Amino acid sequence: MKDRKRVLLAPIDPVHDIGLKMVGRSLSEAGHEIILLAPDLPLEEIVQTALDKHVDVVLLSRTVGYGVAELLSRFNDLADAAGLRDQVKIGIGGMAIRPELAQELGFDAGFGPGTTMEESLAFVEGRPYEKDVRLTQKQRPCVAQGHSYEYLNDRIRGLLEVIASRIAAWAEERTSPGVERARVRDELWDMDKWRSGEKMAEFEAAYAPLCEALVRSYYQKGVLHPKTRRFTAEEADSLNTFLTRTALFMNTPRIQHTLEKPIIFNQYGTGCPIMDITHIKVSEAWGADGVVHFDPSWGARTEGLFDGFITHSEDGTVITPDNLFHIHRSLEPSTLWQVRAHRGLNTPETVVLAGKIGAHMTKINFCYGSLGAGTDPERLTVDAYYAMKYAKKYDLPFDVVTNEELCGVPAYKAFAGMLIVAQLARSLGCRPVLQPLFCYSPEVMISKQMEDNYIDFNAAKIIALRSIIDAPIWPGAPIAFLTQTEDRVQSSAATAFHASLSAMLGVDAISIASSDEAYSGGPITVSSKVDTLRAVAEGFRFHGRSKFMPSETATRWAEDIVRGIESVLASVAEKGNFVSALYEGILGSREDGAYPGRAGAHTVSKRST
Amino acid sequence: MSQIWQHVMDALDVETFLACESEEEGKNLALTMMKELGFSDIDVVFCQFQGPGARVRVRAYLYRAGDSYPWLDLEKSTEAKKA
Repeated sequence: MKDRKRVLLAPIDPVHDIGLKMVGRSLSEAGHEIILLAPDLPLEEIVQTALDKHVDVVLLSRTVGYGVAELLSRFNDLADAAGLRDQVKIGIGGMAIRPELAQELGFDAGFGPGTTMEESLAFVEGRPYEKDVRLTQKQRPCVAQGHSYEYLNDRIRGLLEVIASRIAAWAEERTSPGVERARVRDELWDMDKWRSGEKMAEFEAAYAPLCEALVRSYYQKGVLHPKTRRFTAEEADSLNTFLTRTALFMNTPRIQHTLEKPIIFNQYGTGCPIMDITHIKVSEAWGADGVVHFDPSWGARTEGLFDGFITHSEDGTVITPDNLFHIHRSLEPSTLWQVRAHRGLNTPETVVLAGKIGAHMTKINFCYGSLGAGTDPERLTVDAYYAMKYAKKYDLPFDVVTNEELCGVPAYKAFAGMLIVAQLARSLGCRPVLQPLFCYSPEVMISKQMEDNYIDFNAAKIIALRSIIDAPIWPGAPIAFLTQTEDRVQSSAATAFHASLSAMLGVDAISIASSDEAYSGGPITVSSKVDTLRAVAEGFRFHGRSKFMPSETATRWAEDIVRGIESVLASVAEKGNFVSALYEGILGSREDGAYPGRAGAHTVSKRST
Repeated sequence: MSQIWQHVMDALDVETFLACESEEEGKNLALTMMKELGFSDIDVVFCQFQGPGARVRVRAYLYRAGDSYPWLDLEKSTEAKKA
């Protein structure tokens, strides 16, 4: 080897520093000669050995913090006095070392915690250190990729095809104010004109009459929703300053260890788009691959969308073109951005707006939205059908969430609904992603499937879905729902365990909460987001590529779930009218805890031909 | 010292996220914050800087090993305080 270096490694601690040994191995593998001294030798002996052995580089390590500056300072004096400083490069490293300390004491380099082997190697070889691009650059992933959407269960496929085709035929003949607003937004709202501040009179004239009075008065009189306020120009300028400064220090590290998946999503929705942006930047900087826009519940029950860069002090951030635009432009290029559209009166329009502004994904499920989120089943079935068509047009894959489980609906019923939505989506050319919950649901609390562990029933859900269809799976939302407490250590650990289980089951993505998930006294903090991201990264590091072996119980429960799904689908098919099946509780009854929503009731009408 | 601190068994940790431009700045800000809160025996336990700022855990020791511990007999400590 041309530039083979002789390197003296000296731990100036009572015990060997494992880091120094790892550096030694890495240098050896790179072809350098290593002399590793025993720990805790007198400093004079280290200096003398360096001279006697004619080394090129000395690397000292120190783990213990007490007296580190004095000790290293004395080593420097001895090295100076012996003439060693002029002949060799001397670097110091270890848990007690910081680069600033090395610089202050006059060493050639200092390697603190987190130093990579490549960094040490570059120092020894006298070349500049180039960061591993894997740590600083990542590509935007795709959740809905690598699956055929082929059915593996013919009976279920047959039932789903019948049910979905009936829904399509029924919805195709109907419309609603939400569908009409979506059409107006799609046809008359121009992103370029909006950005340049050009008035879109034709859009406003067609749009405002389709909105309820509160929203209409915004377009006609400029009056905002009473709970909101508009940001000042100074606040908007300050946001730009913050983003410019943050960009100087921004990295997007990978949170996964050796596996590519699961993709990690983090939900935001503090109520304030500026605070959301800070949460997003922190999530990105700590490894989140995607972020999910969460809107307020009143927004979902209001006919029409406002505009303006506006904020409020409630859970969920108001969907307006301005708010979404500011959030979108703050994202790193590698970040997946999902704008949810699954539960309210603005479902199809939200998909259109998300698509025009640049979202990468959305969320649609009329079963959950109407059984667990307050929207009338008839209205949401029509709206979601057209929302899917727009999702196809704007190339937005979407997940089909099953949060009705949190109301008490058993998993098999929620899954039957999810599969109906997914089949309808497939028939329209969309790319649906199945979203089972990894949660401690009322069903399992009562039936005690999780009395011993949280693994078997969650695993059973994945096994069941995989036996039915080859589709992407994204447990959520978030994983570990109802297992977390207000304690941040418990909450982070619960999240990490569920994330590890997800990875070992080979799912495509997961949504994780912050360690404030169970706290209801106020908005979550940015620190709590870091907590769970760090915990999940540690979980991935812990299990690596190791696999999870499902137990017999998990397999048995998976079979039960599949049988349950079949039975529900058969009942829906027999009923004929899908919306009636929703009202009558076949996909989740009042006894289960699911109540058909009322928002938007009696607003569906026949389309004029 | 305020009586409330007699109940703290050893130390007070403050964890937060500080908007700053480097790990060093984050540490300095954290220590300054603790000094401004009136603590003197302070240290940064953990600091990680990424993008918008630093996640920090900064500590003020109220009682170190070998100190006198007022919480051993809170009644006596309170009486002594009153006297």
